[in-house]
Amino acid sequence: MNTSLSRRHFLRAAGSVIALPALESLGFRAFTAEKAVSRPKRMIFLGFGFGVTQETWFPDVKQIGAEYTLPEGLAPLARHQKDFSVIQGLSNQYSQDAHWGSTFWLTGANRFSEPGQSFHNTISADQAAVAKLGQDTRFSSIQLNGGDPDLVAHHQGHGPGLSLSWDAGGKPVAGLNSPAQLFHKMFSEEPMPLAQRQALLAQERSVLDAVLSDAKQLQRGLTKNDNDKINEYFQSIREIETRIARDEQWLGVTKPKAPIGEPAANLHGKEEVKLMYDLMVAAFQTDSTRVFTYRQPAEAFTKSIGAKVALHDMSHYAPGERMLASQARDRAQSELFAGLLDRLKFVQETDGSSLLDHTCVVYGSNLRTVHNLDNCPTVVAGGGAGIKLGHHVVAQKNTPLCNLWLTLLRGVGVEAERHGDSTGVLKEMAV
Amino acid sequence: MNPWLLNLPKFGFFSRIQGGLWAALAALSATASFPAQAATASKASTEPATPLRAELPTQHRAFFESYCTKCHGPEKQKGKLRLDDISLSVDTLKQADRWAKILNSINSGEMPPEDAKQPENNAKADFLDALSQTMVTARKALSDQGGNITVRRLNRREYQNTLRELLGVETDVATLPSDGGGENFDTVGSALFMSADQFLLYRQLGRKALDQSFKAAMAKTEVHKAHFEAEAETIPMIERSMAEFVSIRKRHTKWTRQVDAAARLPENAKIAQELREKHKDQSEKFYLNWEKIQGAPSPKDFGFPDAIDANMMNGRWENYIPQAADYLTQPKAKTGTYLGVANLNHRWVSVPVPKEWPAGEYTVRARLACTEEGPVDRRFVDFLSDYPSSQVLNTHQVTGTMETPQILEIPIHIDAEGGRRFKFAEKAILGNADGMGPAGQLFRAGFQENKIGPDYAVWVDWVEVEGPFVPPHVAQILSALQTQIEQFQPDDAGARRFLSDFASRALRGRPIPTEFLDKLCKLYHLRVTAGDAPLEALKEPLTLVLASPSFLYLTEPAEDGKTRQLTDLELATRLSFFLWSTPPDAELLALAKKGELQKPAMLAQQVERLLADPRCVRFIKPFVLQWLGLSRLDFFQFNTKLYPDYDLPTKAASRDEVIETFAYLLKKRGSLTKLLKSDFAFINGLLANYYKIPGVFGDEFREVALPADSPRGGLLGMAAILAMGSNGEQTSPVERGAWVLRKLLHEPPPPAPANVPQLNRLAGKPLTTRERIAQHQEDAQCAQCHRKIDPIGFGLENFDAVGKWRTVDLRPDVPKQNQNIDPSGAFFKGPAFRDFFEMRDLVAAKPERFARGFTEALIEFGLGRPFGFSDEPLAANVLASASQKDFALPEFIHALVASKEFHSK
Repeated sequence: MNTSLSRRHFLRAAGSVIALPALESLGFRAFTAEKAVSRPKRMIFLGFGFGVTQETWFPDVKQIGAEYTLPEGLAPLARHQKDFSVIQGLSNQYSQDAHWGSTFWLTGANRFSEPGQSFHNTISADQAAVAKLGQDTRFSSIQLNGGDPDLVAHHQGHGPGLSLSWDAGGKPVAGLNSPAQLFHKMFSEEPMPLAQRQALLAQERSVLDAVLSDAKQLQRGLTKNDNDKINEYFQSIREIETRIARDEQWLGVTKPKAPIGEPAANLHGKEEVKLMYDLMVAAFQTDSTRVFTYRQPAEAFTKSIGAKVALHDMSHYAPGERMLASQARDRAQSELFAGLLDRLKFVQETDGSSLLDHTCVVYGSNLRTVHNLDNCPTVVAGGGAGIKLGHHVVAQKNTPLCNLWLTLLRGVGVEAERHGDSTGVLKEMAV
Repeated sequence: MNPWLLNLPKFGFFSRIQGGLWAALAALSATASFPAQAATASKASTEPATPLRAELPTQHRAFFESYCTKCHGPEKQKGKLRLDDISLSVDTLKQADRWAKILNSINSGEMPPEDAKQPENNAKADFLDALSQTMVTARKALSDQGGNITVRRLNRREYQNTLRELLGVETDVATLPSDGGGENFDTVGSALFMSADQFLLYRQLGRKALDQSFKAAMAKTEVHKAHFEAEAETIPMIERSMAEFVSIRKRHTKWTRQVDAAARLPENAKIAQELREKHKDQSEKFYLNWEKIQGAPSPKDFGFPDAIDANMMNGRWENYIPQAADYLTQPKAKTGTYLGVANLNHRWVSVPVPKEWPAGEYTVRARLACTEEGPVDRRFVDFLSDYPSSQVLNTHQVTGTMETPQILEIPIHIDAEGGRRFKFAEKAILGNADGMGPAGQLFRAGFQENKIGPDYAVWVDWVEVEGPFVPPHVAQILSALQTQIEQFQPDDAGARRFLSDFASRALRGRPIPTEFLDKLCKLYHLRVTAGDAPLEALKEPLTLVLASPSFLYLTEPAEDGKTRQLTDLELATRLSFFLWSTPPDAELLALAKKGELQKPAMLAQQVERLLADPRCVRFIKPFVLQWLGLSRLDFFQFNTKLYPDYDLPTKAASRDEVIETFAYLLKKRGSLTKLLKSDFAFINGLLANYYKIPGVFGDEFREVALPADSPRGGLLGMAAILAMGSNGEQTSPVERGAWVLRKLLHEPPPPAPANVPQLNRLAGKPLTTRERIAQHQEDAQCAQCHRKIDPIGFGLENFDAVGKWRTVDLRPDVPKQNQNIDPSGAFFKGPAFRDFFEMRDLVAAKPERFARGFTEALIEFGLGRPFGFSDEPLAANVLASASQKDFALPEFIHALVASKEFHSK
């Protein structure tokens, strides 16, 4: 039995509502220290969709190893240099859509691999991690999207998808679009009394039972193709069943008290990213979930840092105003990322280690720059996956990005044979 | 294939139509892009199409021999690749992936390696062009669904429309995830997904709609009316502000006098002199330093938060008082409101709708006039919502005069939870998110001239709101529901009857499965036992019907590999969702039940009925927006400083122009080719003013004859089309050229290739747009597509970023001597043109290409599947029928609906 389970059972046994930080005052530190168990592992995937200014973002390929100079685009991360690695040479071999920076980033899928279909995807790395990391928290994983109110993700460089995440069947997983939504999901209490909620959960089974019977009836006599489509409905209902089971487990446990205040509505760009980062840390502090993906805002982000050029023009930068804007965007993103690492370091686990020591944070995009999909910008921070940190790693050209995902998945304890088109783990990342 | 090489078949095509379908098909296949298709197309109407093959033409083997086989040939096979004997056809996914890698390595400049012999630019571009096209063909062939139509989920629009038809209420579907994958129409089943969250949302929205509907059905319909004299809002506001500013003025004067008095004290002599010297130019600033002067009173003692505020508030007084005084001397200020543009408090006239009034359809009226002084450009009002955000709902031209004001009527929908306050304002008071709207700029200009502001342009006498008015078809739905509710017996049998009746309507005439019904009844029972009132308990299972797969999916049972004819009911459903985005109405259902609908004459008659019905707009709007890619218009904000008159209302009207023109052509059986070029524009007063076409007033769109030299008439002269070929500041000849190739000439360029090195040689140099873009020709990877795209874009350069005609490009970074626009060019391997007009004529001379693209879009939208090679014969048939009727718009629809494919699963 792993710690977190016993921790929750402890909570349940105590029969009361205790936010995790309060555990320490109950002598929880001693309790866990005795058992000397490892801390829960956590993962964050941050995808910015549009690429970077390659001239000033990538370290010099001649400086490999621990001694390398951080280029301007990553300079704001200097204080954390020992806690992350920059990895070059990775790409998704099947990615050919020059405007899709996120669709296949975590999956490595070949969109054409399904005969008779023009789009196909497979499970994303974060969802592969959920099997291991998503079992003991109220939410198995949480997907976030940058809210660009007037734009669809497709035209922000992210490509199709409802978030960075794709489920086991390669279907898009929807995400939350604002810090306020995330806050309420994690911390706002259900207004309904417990008994009523119990009754409702019981009724919910009858509800699902009813629509499932309709779905079964409907599927009779359909073609295989149509059956596959109706299966998405089945999957959705099954997902709700899983949620109910989980809800029942958590029924007696009140949602944790929010360690930060409720975010304002209508935050965009830079403000949004900052708040989302704060809330991710809050989620880990309260152990609400252990897996995040965040498809970051692009258009709204550049606007919020005062860029005067349109986003698409900026991504096709050339020396001058556009390139300056693109570099300013890189720096602003890195500053925010550095802020996230600060906070993950600041929050301590009960054994004195920091959240960052047990968290694996990925920061990158499937698009390098302009229309280039090779050498995807990739930064991995934190001790969660047990990889080599503080290094500049240059993998052999066109190494599958999925080799990194596989390395990280195994690092956090997922027993995966392969992920996407991986050909093995990234040996360069071994400590 | 290049359309300009296809001139010959065009004439052949028309002359051969009379020769019968076979000949027409043969001719058509010659105009289509892929040679291999000829054989397929000619036998296609009876047999399923055989898979098409993508093959790189053999002449390109020479390219490999010259540049590749030394390393990838019989002696060496670097990277395990051998190109001398590689098969040029791409028939499998594996082959496609390998060719994609080859293409990618040449595009990225990786191959041939730098130290190897390099191909000449044109030869390389030709090779890349051919391989890219082969790959497009291969992907299309490999992803062909073989005529299968994947079951469709109701998309957001259809779901909303269906709830309206079923329950008579409006549902806000913004919370549902958006449909389609960006490349597909929102009707394509394979791209419509489902998720757990979405299921929960369906239940939430369905429940809300049921609550509203039940409430409306049982409510007494009482019509309310409220009337507001505009001056009753404005005058007290001005009086209050006047009093406030006079008080500010008095208090400020008292304060500064006392500060002055203190400054005159001997102990302050030195500091006072220093401060006066320092603020010589702006004497007001002297008072900001009151704390340094001993004995000077605090501004707080005079009711100001601090010295800065005190000065600022006092400063405004100087502006406000003369403005207010001027306002009150306007001839009809006491009997109405002149709409201000800035600064003063009466920029709006409000229309508050009392909270107690129920949700529903209302009418807002306003009595308006334009003043004599106001320029024609400003004789427009916006009607806006006030909550949750200020948004322009619609825009109206003011045609009434001060002697004979007009009465404007606007229908509005009031939502149960939405805003209750609306307002009228002069057009474009609302700025873009990036700053002050054009009206703000207008005010500044007027103020600089006379210290008061610009003349008033619009006067509002009064406003009123009346309703709710229940539209007849909604009244019918609600009264049926009312009867049902009144007759409802709250026992199990009664619940079963209610549920089964409701379900049979919700499920579009199909019976509800018994097991499902049993479970719904059980649920009802459960709710009653839990203590719900019977009607409330009923809503739970009803909600579930609206979230059930039978409701959400348009299923058509079938066996794998077998094609069958649709039942009448299925046909009615397919037809109704195609042309109305709603489930079939009573008439369609009745015909289906009688087995009449499959009869060709009856079906054609029903198509006519559906097209003539106002609900047809639910086909027109989404189809046109998606077909022409008009959503791009919203991807950036237009710079209001550069283009003040392309304000938000004008942008909205320009988008409407495209839709309205299509709707008009459909209605009057006009030819699709009028969208390429026509001697009329279909516009309203707002757009006529924008295009500077005289003599058109009022809000309704109408046909307006154009002079022979007008650049308007046809899509290429429409502001929306041109504006989306820009980035909001500058024109983008590349976007425009690619759009013309995609939509008008039906020769879509392949998707932008990945990993092409960027051209930066000329960055930062002062260049014309043309010179800048000419760089594309220097590099084969770019030239392969841009040699086709860019010249077309140049031909449109006489239109600025917002579609206004221009002869010079005044961009500051363009050298003065080069600012004259040169619109000349030539289609790639095609005819040359001197200017826009010649280019438009050349495009208009290819109606069959345009019609072909339109047909494919229509098939994809109507059948709900991506257009595939197996649809070639269908497209040929539809096109052949339509071309016999001079491409009259309804003919395409008739031909598609009459086709075997539309009747088959």
